Amino acid sequence: MRSDDATLARLMALSQGGDKRAYAMLLDEAGKWLRIYFRRRLPPDSLEDVVQEMLVSLHRKLATYDPSHPFLPWLAAIARYRWVDHLRKLSRTHETAIDTEFAVDSEEEAISAKLSLERLFTMLPDAQAKVIQLVKVKGYSIAEASEASGQSQSLVKVNIHRGLKKLAAMIERE
Amino acid sequence: MNAMVRNTNELISGLVDDLKPAVPLRFSRGVAVAVAALVLTIGLATLGLGVRPDVASGHPHGMFILAGGIFLLLGIASMAATVAMSSPRVGSGRNGWGWAAATASLLPLTAIVIALLDGPSAWLASDPGHGVICLGFSLVLGCIVAVVLTSWLRRGAPASPERAGLLTGIASGSAGIVAFGFVCPINEIMHIGLWHGMAATISALAGWLIVPRLVRW
Repeated sequence: MRSDDATLARLMALSQGGDKRAYAMLLDEAGKWLRIYFRRRLPPDSLEDVVQEMLVSLHRKLATYDPSHPFLPWLAAIARYRWVDHLRKLSRTHETAIDTEFAVDSEEEAISAKLSLERLFTMLPDAQAKVIQLVKVKGYSIAEASEASGQSQSLVKVNIHRGLKKLAAMIERE
Repeated sequence: MNAMVRNTNELISGLVDDLKPAVPLRFSRGVAVAVAALVLTIGLATLGLGVRPDVASGHPHGMFILAGGIFLLLGIASMAATVAMSSPRVGSGRNGWGWAAATASLLPLTAIVIALLDGPSAWLASDPGHGVICLGFSLVLGCIVAVVLTSWLRRGAPASPERAGLLTGIASGSAGIVAFGFVCPINEIMHIGLWHGMAATISALAGWLIVPRLVRW
C-alpha cells in the first residue's frame, strides 16, 4: 500500500523537525514513488542512479518544502528538474529499449497524472517529443533516430535541443 | 538491480544519519526580506542623494506617483514570484508579474511612440545627460535587492533558473528605479519611458544572463 500525499506531507513536516524515524519512512516511500515515476521515461540501467540522485536532492533541499502545500507536487517538480538535467547530460550510451508496456497501478496513475513526465511530453510538439524519446530515453543514435522519425540528422539535433529547452521551462506546469 | 536497490537503502541510512532540523523557506518571510531590501535601497538613495523637491515639500507630482507606483507594483510582483520559485511545485501558477510587466512596458512604449512622432526633439526632451545618471544609479541601487533575491534562490530549489534570473533582474531593476525615482526630479514621459525603462530592461537582461549560473543546483 502506497502512502498518500497527506501522509507523506506529515512525514516531511516531521523530518524537517529532525525526526529520523519519520525521515527514514519518507525516503523509503519517496524512493518507491520515484521508481514508478521515472520507470517509463528512463532506461532501466540508469533508473536507480537517478532515484538515488533524487533522494540526495531531496535531502539537500529539505527546507524548500513548504508544509502548507501538498508534498507530491513539490517532489514531482524536483523530479522533473533532475530528469531534464539527466537527459541533458546523457550522452548516447543506452542501447536497451525500455519496457513502455510496464503495468502501472491505476490508482497511482490517476493520482500522479497531472504531475507525470508523460504530461510534460504531451506539451511538446510531436517531432521534438519523438526524437527525445528515441535518443535520450531509448538510446538510439542520431542516425537511427533520423531514420525512425523521418527527420534529417540536423533536424533531430535541433529538435532535441529545442525540446529539452522547452521541457526545462515547463517543469512546474500541470 | 537488487544490488542497486541495496545501495539505495544504504544511501537512505546515510541520509537519515545526516538529518538536521531544517527551517522551511516561508514565502512570507522571503517577501518580507525582499521588501526590507527595497526599503533599505530607498533609504540609501534618499539619504545619500537627497529627495526631489516636490516630494520633499509633501506635494509629489502626478507622474512621480504614477511611474513610481507602476515600477513599485512590478518590483513587488516580481519579487514575490522570485521568492515563490525557491520552493518548486508542479501546478504553481505564478504569472501575476507578467501583467505588471505588461503595464510597466506602456511607459517605454509611450516614449517610443512620441519619439516616432516628434523626432529629434523627443530625444532632447528625454534629457540624455540626466538620463545616463538615472540609468547608472538605478542599476547600482538595484544590486541590493538582486543580492538578497539571489541569496534566497540559492537557499531554495528553483526549477527554472533562467526564469528565476529574469525575475530577479526585473525585481532589482524596478527596485533601483523606485529608489532613484525619489531623487530624479524629471517628470517628462520621454525621460521616464526611455531611461527608467532602460534600467529595468538592462537589469532584466543581466539577471537572465548572470543569476542562473549562481542558482543552479
